[in-house]
Amino acid sequence: MVYSYVVKEETFPDAAVIIQEGIKNDCVYVILEGNVKIKKRISRGQVTLANLKKGTVLGEMAFLDTAEGIRSVSAVAADGPVRVGLLDNQRLIHDYEAVPPRIKYLIKSLVKRLQAANEKLCDIVADTK
Amino acid sequence: MDEITYNKNILIFFSYTLGATHMAMKKSNRKPPPIVNLKYRKGELIIKENDYGISIYKIITGKVQIFTHSGDKEIALALLCPGEIFGEMAFLSKDTEVRSASAKAEQDSELEVWHPDLLSQEYDNMPPIIKHITDEALNRLIRMNRLIAQMTSRKEEEKTSGKQQNSGRRHYRKEVDLPCTYRPVGSSSRRRLNGIVKNISLSGANVEIREKTAAKFSYDPGDEFHIDLTLPGDKNVHFTAKVMSSRNPRVSGMLSLGMVFTDMREGTQKDLGFFLMP
Repeated sequence: MVYSYVVKEETFPDAAVIIQEGIKNDCVYVILEGNVKIKKRISRGQVTLANLKKGTVLGEMAFLDTAEGIRSVSAVAADGPVRVGLLDNQRLIHDYEAVPPRIKYLIKSLVKRLQAANEKLCDIVADTK
Repeated sequence: MDEITYNKNILIFFSYTLGATHMAMKKSNRKPPPIVNLKYRKGELIIKENDYGISIYKIITGKVQIFTHSGDKEIALALLCPGEIFGEMAFLSKDTEVRSASAKAEQDSELEVWHPDLLSQEYDNMPPIIKHITDEALNRLIRMNRLIAQMTSRKEEEKTSGKQQNSGRRHYRKEVDLPCTYRPVGSSSRRRLNGIVKNISLSGANVEIREKTAAKFSYDPGDEFHIDLTLPGDKNVHFTAKVMSSRNPRVSGMLSLGMVFTDMREGTQKDLGFFLMP
């Protein structure tokens, strides 16, 4: 079902940045081939928060948190080149508009919680080192 | 029994019978129950991890602490304020319908309780792609919360062993620069890769590996590796260790793995113990 939303495919070489933390952008991707690391900056380097594999959606947090749309993490090609599919943003926005307000409220709360969890994990790692 | 306690008891009963009533309401198209307001006193438990329940709570006044358990320890995950909601994870994750974390009133709090039937129909009619994307965010949050619990618990253990040091502890974490070899536990390949142990204690080690050469394996938290290392004095030690965190240190192209030991031979423990003695 996700694949039917792909409008464009892009290939990134190993270690290339697919999504840059701090940038305003709400595009959503699906990994078609390869692995992607989700990273977040801390004062001393970066923390890897997750390793994502083929079939996983990328960039959904900035999309679902429509008020901000700022990338809270980076996504980097790992272990070789990565091919991703860019999902049709207009179609996604159209679908999201059909979501009832109360469910939107739940989704936003979930995204906020995920952002807080990412930050908390970074704090723990920074504090450990 | 005061009105508040009575209402809460009704709600607890409701939670346990929810599966049946939820289905029955769907079939009979009965109106979902109205929104209920409940008051909790400071310290009172609102939802308990692993209990059945899919009601959703909105904070009207007060503060609510979300926490999980690691062993017998409570690990704080989030402190929520008025306007915020909780309990949505069990609702969104329809497969389990058990609470993935606990919630207690951090202050005297008033909550609005939404019965899931208020939202079920709306949720079912949601576009499948949005449901899919939401599910992915949800799974990521569940995984992150688990990781936070593991890491906080590890830190607590290290703190405790730090206290033991002050009261006459004999071992500690030592900064080192020792080459090691490693391979994943359970892998059919006997191929080993090289890494460098940067510091080591009796409970874990920090291992740096070159990202390029390491690309063959995954280093997700929880992944386990066999590690061989030669301590000064030509003592060969072997242990298995689990990845707790991975991050990029200042040197680019390197990956730094925070690992805890999961298995260690008796001889290894003795050799490492001697090595770590100040």
